[in-house]
Amino acid sequence: MHLLPTPLEELTLGESSDLSHVGSPRRLADRQAAQRALYHRLGLEEPVFYVSRSAHAPIRWYWHGTHNQYHRWVQQLLRGNLGYSYRTGQPVLALLQSALLYTLPLMAIAIGLATSLAIWLALGFALAPAEGGGWQALGRTLLMSLQAVPLFALALALLLLFANPDLLNILPADGMGTAYPPLGGLAWLAAYGAHLVLPLLSLVLAVLPGLVLPLENALRHELATPYSSTARAKGLTAWQVAYQHALPNALLPLFTTFTGLLPALVAGAVVVEVLFALPGTGRLLAEAAAAHDYPVVLAGVLLTAGARLLALLVADVLYYRADPRLRPSS
Amino acid sequence: MAQVNSRAVDVINLMHYSLLQTDFATGTMAPTLAAALPSVQFVGDSLTHLDYHLRDATWDNGRPVLATDVAFTLKLMHCPELPNEGERTHFSFIRELLLDPADPRHFTLVCRGQAPEYRLDSGDFPILPENPLDPTHSLRQFSLATLQDWPRSTAPAPAVAALVQRYQQADPGHHPERLAGCGPYQLAAWEGNHSLTLQRKKKWWGDRLPTAPLVLQARPKQLQFLILPDDAAATLALRRHELDLYPQVSARDFQRLQASATAHRELAFYSGPSYDIVIAGFNTRRPAFQDKLTRQALSCLFDAKSLLAGTQLGQGSRTVGLLPPTSPFYNDSLPLPAYAPARAVALLRQAGWQQIGGTWKRAAQQLAFSVRYRADETTFETVALQFRAAAAAVGIPVALRPTEASTLTEALRQGDFDVCVRKLKGNPFAFNFLPILHSQSVGEGNFTGFGTPASDRLLEAIAAVGQPGRKRLLLKQFQMMLQKEAPLAPLFVLPYRLAADRHLVQVYPSGLRPGYSAATLTWAATPSPDH
Repeated sequence: MHLLPTPLEELTLGESSDLSHVGSPRRLADRQAAQRALYHRLGLEEPVFYVSRSAHAPIRWYWHGTHNQYHRWVQQLLRGNLGYSYRTGQPVLALLQSALLYTLPLMAIAIGLATSLAIWLALGFALAPAEGGGWQALGRTLLMSLQAVPLFALALALLLLFANPDLLNILPADGMGTAYPPLGGLAWLAAYGAHLVLPLLSLVLAVLPGLVLPLENALRHELATPYSSTARAKGLTAWQVAYQHALPNALLPLFTTFTGLLPALVAGAVVVEVLFALPGTGRLLAEAAAAHDYPVVLAGVLLTAGARLLALLVADVLYYRADPRLRPSS
Repeated sequence: MAQVNSRAVDVINLMHYSLLQTDFATGTMAPTLAAALPSVQFVGDSLTHLDYHLRDATWDNGRPVLATDVAFTLKLMHCPELPNEGERTHFSFIRELLLDPADPRHFTLVCRGQAPEYRLDSGDFPILPENPLDPTHSLRQFSLATLQDWPRSTAPAPAVAALVQRYQQADPGHHPERLAGCGPYQLAAWEGNHSLTLQRKKKWWGDRLPTAPLVLQARPKQLQFLILPDDAAATLALRRHELDLYPQVSARDFQRLQASATAHRELAFYSGPSYDIVIAGFNTRRPAFQDKLTRQALSCLFDAKSLLAGTQLGQGSRTVGLLPPTSPFYNDSLPLPAYAPARAVALLRQAGWQQIGGTWKRAAQQLAFSVRYRADETTFETVALQFRAAAAAVGIPVALRPTEASTLTEALRQGDFDVCVRKLKGNPFAFNFLPILHSQSVGEGNFTGFGTPASDRLLEAIAAVGQPGRKRLLLKQFQMMLQKEAPLAPLFVLPYRLAADRHLVQVYPSGLRPGYSAATLTWAATPSPDH
């Protein structure tokens, strides 16, 4: 059994439905010879794994020893080599690095903005009366509605609203500038900022309800506890009680939600990257998966899994730091 | 300018010239580095000689483009371990390049076999300079045939291995600036998966020509290609003038743009038939589809006219066979396949099927099958849905099996389907249906499994015929045969759609990739009229 990346084969050898290459009648033997050469170049001639099973009855199992693609991949991985993309021939590490250059700043800013805004909004909502309330009630309803909107619909709606000559033509439709010669200094920063507004807005609005609503709930719970009443009795303002006393406790359940966002730092957001034409990791991995570019997909999965583990570790450390009850001394 | 193109061939054609390139004004191949189309001489019954003369072209350093550069390019193509297995197979018909000692710009290509298409096909690869890549001319000691026939089990000759290593280190595929071509443009900036900027060379040999033919014109000072994966974003970018030209616009967006009064004032719209044809194929290895009457009957259940209106919003055209109606070889004396359920029922009865208890039966066979198509193509899905409804109306149960693209290709290749809906990509230069209909291509491109001795002979004759009159006759016979045997049902020819700024002229819209002539685009003071 071999790994058969059909899209790659069609990309390199031409599609079987393409009648454009007609000079030489392409016989089966020619195509098969080219296919063998392609597999040889990409190292796909070996079996995929240590064992394989016969495709047809009677079922038999075969042992291939260490001469298999997986073993070779692990060997290379231990040497820090993630392999080469089937599609472009570029080292996977270089591809991931260049994609992370777009994804990391975008996602870091989005997560930072969303978290700060979530804390500010949750405090504001929690301090308003539970029934009625002016802007807080409206904000809560808006956030609940936002939570029901999928990211692609939200991003598309923002695009159609703010980058549309028929409505508001105030922001660029493309998530990146294309100026040539390249802009320098402040001009670059301004252009970069303008192009990032819509992708950032989409991402922030998409995660905001998931952060604000549970935090508000936790804050309300904390504000109803005796220690909050004591703090108020001591003469602290409502804001001081909420910010200094209730918030540190209310933040505890948010750590899991917050660290759950961290893998997206490296995995990117496919929808936003596709819609705003950003060459980030989300798009890279989605396109690699569609084209069966396995080395890139494997590296992406590895990277995302690593980020997930790191996020869990960060969550544990944050809990440990924030909650004294978790410390062994307690 | 926007273009989604993973293969980058269209950009390469602006930096590296070939011997012949597409003339978008006429839809034919025109001499670029070659001074004229090659003269053809058939030798015996198995060889073709193509005689080429090169233009007075030069590389950027002033060195002339010579026959040795062409020979080097062909030999480099056949060096092992370089990522060009497709081209190597495609150009394997060129067995040798004979240099002319008296004229360094004159050479003869010796081709294996005899096919009229060799004339145009032999010049369709970019020419690379020999000196920067092989300064010691180490490849000259090998003949092209030697490199082609080099056994894969044998290690390459040291000189070849060294050259391959040098080429891989230079990595011109990802660093085009390291290998300047003789085309008018050079790479200025490249943001992977996002944008690519080409700059017109200040000094270029083509500027010396007194009257440059269309393929040798290079008007824009700068060309920028953007990859915008989302249709809605691309349409907005066009409206916002972040793009000047948008090829391959979807039917819906094209219609929406045309309907907008503001967009109509700013944009020019171009549309016409392309060379891509949507077909439905029958797996002739299935007992139910082995007889042509059943296939003909089922072909009558496709409503091509309504499908064209529904999926392409009226653009594109119906066809009698695998040639577009614009082709000079189109058989216009044949009737267009029509949606005719009553005729389908009559043909089924003629084929021996009988409707018993609401199902069609013939001996132990029951007429019930599935349709497979690419899951992400709405056009194919619409075709399949229409076919299912039409089949259900005459009592044939049809199941739909939308399938992921690569799984589908593999399934079709292995014959794991009953009926499939897919697209065939054609071109106007040549006609070779061997890969999709010849019995020897079963298991590769011939998914239907069709092939009779008579049809094989006809297809081989079409691939070999040179004389236009005879070719017309054979192609008309082919279209007749296709309607009679019905291994596949040609549904409609897809249209090309392109929208561009109204002030952009010399666009030369075309059904050929990339759909326009990038090097001739010019800004005009007055907007272009409606098309």
